[in-house]
Formats: sequence, C-alpha cells, structure tokens
Amino acid sequence: MSNNFQLERERSSLSSFPDSKSLFSKLKSGLLPYAFLTPTLIVVTLFFFIPLVMVFILSFTNLDMTNFGILKWWQPANWTLDNYVKIFTNRFFPRILNNTLMYVSMTLIFFNVGMALVIALITTNINRRVGFTFRLIWLMCRLTPVVVYIMMWKALAGPAPMGVINKHILGPLGIGTGEYLLNTNPWLFIILVNGFIGASFGMIIFSSAIEAIPKDYMIASKVDGASTWQTIRYITIPMIKWPLLFVTTYQTLSLLTSFEQILLLTNGGPGLYETEVWSLTAYHRAFSSYFGNTQWGYGSAWAVILVIIGIIMAIIYLRVFKFNELIQEPKIDQL
Amino acid sequence: MKASKSLLSISLIVILVMSFTAMALAQDLDIIPIKVRCRAKPPMENWRGLNFLVAEKDLNADLEAMGDPRRVKVEVIQDNLDWGEYITEFVLGYGAGESPDIWLTGHEYIGTQAEAGRIIALDGIIKEFPIYNLVFDTLWDCTKYKGETWGVPQDAEARPLYWNKTLLKKLGWSDGEIAALSGKIEKGEFTLYDMLETAKQAVDKGVVEPGNGFWTRPKNGPDFTPFYYAFGGETIDSATGKLVFDKTAGLKYYKFFYDAAQKYGSMGCLGLDWSSAWHPGVTSKVLFWVGGTWQWAEWAEKFLKDLGGEAYMWENFGFGLIPAAEKGGKPNSLTHPLAYLVSSQCKYPDLAVALIAKVTNYGPNTRHAIASTHLGILKGQTEYKFYKESRLLSEALYMLDYTTFLPNNPYWGTYSTVTYEALAACVGGDFTPEKAVDFVVEGLNRELGDKVIIK
Repeated sequence: MSNNFQLERERSSLSSFPDSKSLFSKLKSGLLPYAFLTPTLIVVTLFFFIPLVMVFILSFTNLDMTNFGILKWWQPANWTLDNYVKIFTNRFFPRILNNTLMYVSMTLIFFNVGMALVIALITTNINRRVGFTFRLIWLMCRLTPVVVYIMMWKALAGPAPMGVINKHILGPLGIGTGEYLLNTNPWLFIILVNGFIGASFGMIIFSSAIEAIPKDYMIASKVDGASTWQTIRYITIPMIKWPLLFVTTYQTLSLLTSFEQILLLTNGGPGLYETEVWSLTAYHRAFSSYFGNTQWGYGSAWAVILVIIGIIMAIIYLRVFKFNELIQEPKIDQL
Repeated sequence: MKASKSLLSISLIVILVMSFTAMALAQDLDIIPIKVRCRAKPPMENWRGLNFLVAEKDLNADLEAMGDPRRVKVEVIQDNLDWGEYITEFVLGYGAGESPDIWLTGHEYIGTQAEAGRIIALDGIIKEFPIYNLVFDTLWDCTKYKGETWGVPQDAEARPLYWNKTLLKKLGWSDGEIAALSGKIEKGEFTLYDMLETAKQAVDKGVVEPGNGFWTRPKNGPDFTPFYYAFGGETIDSATGKLVFDKTAGLKYYKFFYDAAQKYGSMGCLGLDWSSAWHPGVTSKVLFWVGGTWQWAEWAEKFLKDLGGEAYMWENFGFGLIPAAEKGGKPNSLTHPLAYLVSSQCKYPDLAVALIAKVTNYGPNTRHAIASTHLGILKGQTEYKFYKESRLLSEALYMLDYTTFLPNNPYWGTYSTVTYEALAACVGGDFTPEKAVDFVVEGLNRELGDKVIIK
C-alpha cells in the first residue's frame, strides 16, 4: 500500500514539471561539453586562428620595417600577390626547396623513424632494466635546453686544436686538416643534431607499442621456428602500424616547421643558402637581417606556403597509410 | 623636567616643519624617467650606456642650479643583440608606445626611422648646446637626412686591412718590408690584387692553408662596401637621394671576390661563426683580413689575453688602409659612426639632448674610445691627455682622412642583402662575376623598383 502511494506521488511530481526538467537536463547535457571545451577554444582562437588569419593577410602586403605603423595592412586595397611572385621568381627558391626536402627526408628516414624503430626494437628485446636505462640516456638530448645542446655540438665540431672531434678523433687518425667541421660537413651535423633529438620521440612511442603486443604472438612465432627478423617483419611491424603512421606524419610536419637547431648551428650557411630550409627563410625574411630590413609581409608569404605544403603532406600520408582503416574499431569488440 | 618637556616639544615641532618643507619641496620636483637603449659588447663597450649614469648627476645639478624643478632618472638597457633584432625591437617597441627615449644605433638606420616618424630632427635643440660644435663635421654629415640632423654621433672607427707579421716573415718578407707596407698602401703602391698575389704565394708555399690568404667578415655587413668604392662604385645619388648600383664598378668588385676565392686561395671565411671560428682564425692563421679598430680591443681582451694581449698584437699584427684597386689609386677605409637618436615618443627631448651633450665630451667619449678602441669624435681629442696614451687610436687616426660612409637611405638594408648574396655566390663559385651583376640588377629592380638607380 505504502509502495503504491509513493509511486503515485512520484508520478504526480513528474507530471507537474515534465517539460522544464527535461529541457534543463537537455540543455545541461548539451552545453556541458562545450563549457569544458571553451578554455581550449579561446586559447586556440587567440593564439592560433587569429594569428593564422593575420599571417595570411600579411602575406599579401609589403609590410616591413620602413612602413610599420604607416601601412594599413588590413585594407584590401593594400593587398597584392607580389610576395608570392617574388618567392617563385627567387633564384634561390629551388635550392631552399631542395634543402628542405633533403633535411626532412634524411632526418626522418635515418633518425626520427629509422633510428627510433631500431632503438625501440633493441631495447625491448634485451633486459628490461637495461633497455629502460638506455632509453633514458637517449632522452638526455631532448631534455637539454637547445642552446646548451647546440653549444655542445659546436664544441665537438670546432676547428683544431679546440674542437673535440678534431683533437681526439680525426687528428690522431690523421684525417683532415683540422677544419671547422660545421663548414666542411654542415648537413651531416644538422641531420645528426636534429636526429638525436627527433629519434627519442619515436623511440618512446614505438617501445610502448611493442611492449603492448601480447606476448602470446611472440611465443607462438618462436614455437613455429620464426627467426628474430621474421618475428619483427611479420608480427611486430604490422602490429605497430598506427604508431608508425603517427610518428611519420607528426615528425614530417614537425621537421618542416622546425628551424631553431639550424638557426643556432649554421644559420643557413656556411655557403649561400647552403643549409637554409623553408622555415628558416620565413624567419630570416620576417625577423632577422643584418641591416634590420625585416620584411614581415614577405616572410608571411613564405610561412603560408609552408602551411599549405604541410597540409598536403598530411593528406598524402593519411591516404597512403589508409588512416580511416587503422582507426576502425577492432573487430573483436564488435562481436 | 618642565624644561626638558618644552625642549622635546620644540624638537618635535622643528622636525615636523622640516618634514613638511621637505615633502613640499619633493612634491615640487618632477622626476623624469629617461630610458637609454644601447647596443654594446661587454666589457669593451660598456661606457656607451654607463656614461649616461654618470651624466645623470651632472645634469640634475645643472637643473637644480637653474631652478628647474625637473630631475632626470636614467634607466640604461644595454646588451649585445644582433643589429637586425635590435632594430626590430625598437620598431615594435615604438608600435606599442614603449620606445626608449634615447636610442643608440648605426647612422644608416636614420633614413628608415626618420621616414617612419619614429625619431625627431634635432637641429633646433642641439644649437643650445655648444659642446656639439666640437664634433667633426664629417660625422655630423652621417646623421643628416633630407637636410636635417637626426642624431648625435657617438663614436667612429676605421676598418683597416690587418696582416700577420709572423706569417709574412715566413713568406720571406724582411722586417723593413713589413714595416713599410702601410706606407706603400697609403701611396697606392700596393693594390688589392698585390694583396691577393701575396696571399696566393703564402698558400702555394704552405705558409697558410688554402682559403686563409685573405678574409673579410663572415657575413653581410658594412665591410664590403669600401671594396665596391675602391673599384669606383657609388651607393647614393646626391641629387635625388636614391640608392645607386654601378654595373661597371660592380663587375670589378665581384671579379675581385670571385678571383680571391677561386684563384688566390682566399675568402674561406664566409659563414663562419664569429666566436668559435672567425676570431680564432684571424688571430692565428690568416695572412690578411679586414676588421674594425674596435676588434683590436676584443682580440686583446678575449682571444689573445693569454698570449700577452695588446703587446702580443703589436708584435705580430700590422694594419693599414684598404688598398687601392689600381696602382697610384686612392686607398680607403669605412667609418660607420653610431649615433644617439631621440624617439618621437620622448616627452622631454630637451632633457634627452642635454643628457647626450653631457656624454659628448672629452672625458666620457675618451673613456669609451680607449676601452673599445673606437676613434674619437671630437675636434682636438687627439690632444687630450688620456686619449693620446692609446697607441692604436693615435696610429689609426690618419685613416679618417681616407674614410668613406654607408648611405643614409631607408632601403639600404634590402640593397645590402641583394648585393651581399651575389658576393657570397661568387665566393662559393655559384655565380660568375657577370652573373652576379645580372642577379643584383634583377634583384634590386624586383625588390626596390624605382627606388634604386642602375647605372
């Protein structure tokens, strides 16, 4: 009896405010996610989208040191395609493009993906503690401030008798004449310097992915008599396809836009545009020149093209690696 | 007891009255903050900014004596940023309404800043400070743009050709020949190509390594322009104020650097890092190189201190003008005076100029000149007791008679970038001299259009 009475009360209370309560809960459940997203949206809008739009607009203007504060860059009357014409007619354009492609591909293949995978495979197949310690040591170059890290490399590459490599390795072996190695082999050092840092990122991702592969597969392969290479080729690599795609895509975009190590190491030299990559050119044009003739409009145009190249590369990667298929729910969960 | 109470009361009254008087006086004083921004290599060039701290007391004493209620409070910001970043900082700071009141910079930036309205013309104010009459007229010319004076010269220098006496001796030169070299250059008897020939001999005989016969600075900068002038080049049209590129002189200029790198075992210097490669190189293994007088102090203080500093340098290094291009021609040098400019955002330009007047005097300027081995800027400064004691300043002073300057033009930076890129391409073997001239003409036309005259 009492139970029936209570049920009646609840029914009557629900029927008295049916619409307002459901509307409120609907609003609450609908808006809550947006409320959580708001801080991120504000930050991304303020510090990414608005600057991006500004850079895009600036790329059509000739804003520079001489007319800053005078030119009304936001007015369409001051917009032209001159900067883009200047870029594509620049005599050093092919060299800069070639440098960029070489820098990204070499660093990516030999270090950011290649070396990272090798380290991950080795350190997950040896004593766990030793592997962990090795990875920790490798992370040191990422943990070191860039300026300190580059100063260390400069000391290594310095001319004899100051340079460590010249004094302790090449000199005793009678190789070379003690030249400044950043002048004789700038690309080698740029790729090494970036590669040692870049490899640590892939190393962590790949190690985690390899360690997450169920041991049953490995044991089964050994029972079937698979060699180590066959285990890697037919079990490990296919099972870390997604991390491979992620690291390759992420590191390609990261290398395309990174220039700080090159800036500090060679600043695009030693020869004319010898190690100048696209993002460094954008920086040089927009922010740096001996006589202060910084060209913000022109530098923005270089940056805009870099963004376009990055988007194209990302789309190509997603297609080649069939990203959509990789992120499908595992079939076992669908049963 | 009663007497002591009255004494206490009187004392309190006196203290109160004095305090109120002091407060009243303090309220009447108007403290004017003056921000001074300098670029200086520590420790040699520290006096560029520090002189203002000394001048602050002096100016405040003057203001007090004349009953002016204003007092200046100087804030000096001084570091060794690259020029490009230093200029950008000023421009962006100005845009944000936070530019320094006094800004030290190279005279060639005056055109850009004056056109943009970021600095003020000083002609009216500097007349009230006769100390400025002591500054050399040629240096004032550097701070003029469109007929007005926009800055006060701070220092001057020469950019000599240096040589390593020890390496010349190894090449077979006698002490007498080495000692006579600067005189031969001054008379036009030792030319630029004579220098390259000597450099080549040094390379051929193994005295120096290939590439180390002759060096310039490792990157773009003012040191290349005197070579262009030596071949008859001009940079500015006095009638229109426009920049000029002379193709005939340009071709000779680029041929010289092409030849130096490709035929005479020289110019292995471009792209080198200043501290880790260039300075150690010129102070040990290069036969001829172009540098500034201020680098003399830098080498003595930073790079050769362990070997004996300046004494070692007098023993081992010689210097002279940049040789003429042809026999009997006129050698030259380049002076790149820095100048104090006053921002148009400065609320009290009279006080800023008064402060600059205080540091533009024999004492403060000589302090800076000696410490940094810059040349003096004042008439009669060579007779000043302390200035005379610097051997380098005395021996290099004659170079001002042969000096040249960079042009004051807003587009000099762009011009310099294009012409330097062509030079670097010649040195690297990417361009022939003819191709370099084509590149410059095409580049200047594309970047500057009718703002440059191609002759």
